[in-house]
Amino acid sequence: VNPAMDDDELMAEVRAAFTTFDAVPEPVLAAGRGAIARRVPAAVPADLIVDSHGALSGRRPGHLPRRAAALRGTSRLLTFKGADLAVEVEVTGTGRDLEIVGRLSPALPAHVRIRHLDGELTARVDRSGHFIVPGVPAGLMSLVFRLPDATSIVTSWVRL
Amino acid sequence: VAPTPSGDAPSGELLLQVRAGDDAAWTALTRRYSGMLWAIARAYALDDADAADAVQLTWLRLVERLDRIRRPDRVGAWLAVTARRESLRLARQHGRDQAAGEVVAAIPASAPGPDEVCVERERLRLVMTAIQALPARCQRVLRLCALAPGYAEVAAALDIPIGSVGPTRARCLSALRDRIGGLM
Repeated sequence: VNPAMDDDELMAEVRAAFTTFDAVPEPVLAAGRGAIARRVPAAVPADLIVDSHGALSGRRPGHLPRRAAALRGTSRLLTFKGADLAVEVEVTGTGRDLEIVGRLSPALPAHVRIRHLDGELTARVDRSGHFIVPGVPAGLMSLVFRLPDATSIVTSWVRL
Repeated sequence: VAPTPSGDAPSGELLLQVRAGDDAAWTALTRRYSGMLWAIARAYALDDADAADAVQLTWLRLVERLDRIRRPDRVGAWLAVTARRESLRLARQHGRDQAAGEVVAAIPASAPGPDEVCVERERLRLVMTAIQALPARCQRVLRLCALAPGYAEVAAALDIPIGSVGPTRARCLSALRDRIGGLM
């Protein structure tokens, strides 16, 4: 290394050092490239507006200290809001086996996909707008509803 | 008119192409910004698993907001802000003090290889050792300046005024130069 090199030359060395000793792992690059497959074209977005875990939003249940879990219970309430619709979800359980009980309002019979990083689960939404999905893995999750008129609703990603 | 090679297209144009369904434009965006997003996660002292998680969630947020990004030309800064928020959230959950945290991973032991590779690697190891001896703030600024496409992204990633990026970069490079001189 020549200490007399100018700022841009030195910055090039910094870049080379980081890409040599802490390169982005290939699986991270691949996950980024693959993320576009999660797009649902023309879907109505529903954003997370209420999370009962508040500041703890996104804390993985497995990481919740036992005391805090006991104080809060293991149930988490999430509300997603989109144009003229809302999705309320209660998440119970811990670790790799969560259960989601939800309600779509206004109530419509629909088909729901629970997307997570390793795949997805599916369920029916009954005429009263309710749905229940067991066996949901902890981690990132997003719901996609397919309505009778063929429109879709997609919730933002949350970390369960 | 021949299509612009997506590798050189401005990020705003790439975003519009992605909206129109061009997956090659998406690949170009991820190639341009993955290094920056990884650097941001590391700047907030996340380990491999959490950094991977933060970067993944940042890309998923962009996919989910694709049609609602108001300033496609500022998508780089949008990604940087999103990655900072997600990284801070994960860092807080794990109770890490990001100001005190080590922001550069340990340097792996030297691997045997052809002589010229070894020489190159040893030179970069010296640079890395010098970086690690700098204050945490300088480590973050240098890493982001090295891996983000522009100052707007660096300012967004570190939540500092854009006007302070250039002077801080210069000050930290000067400190790095002194450290390297001291190691030689």
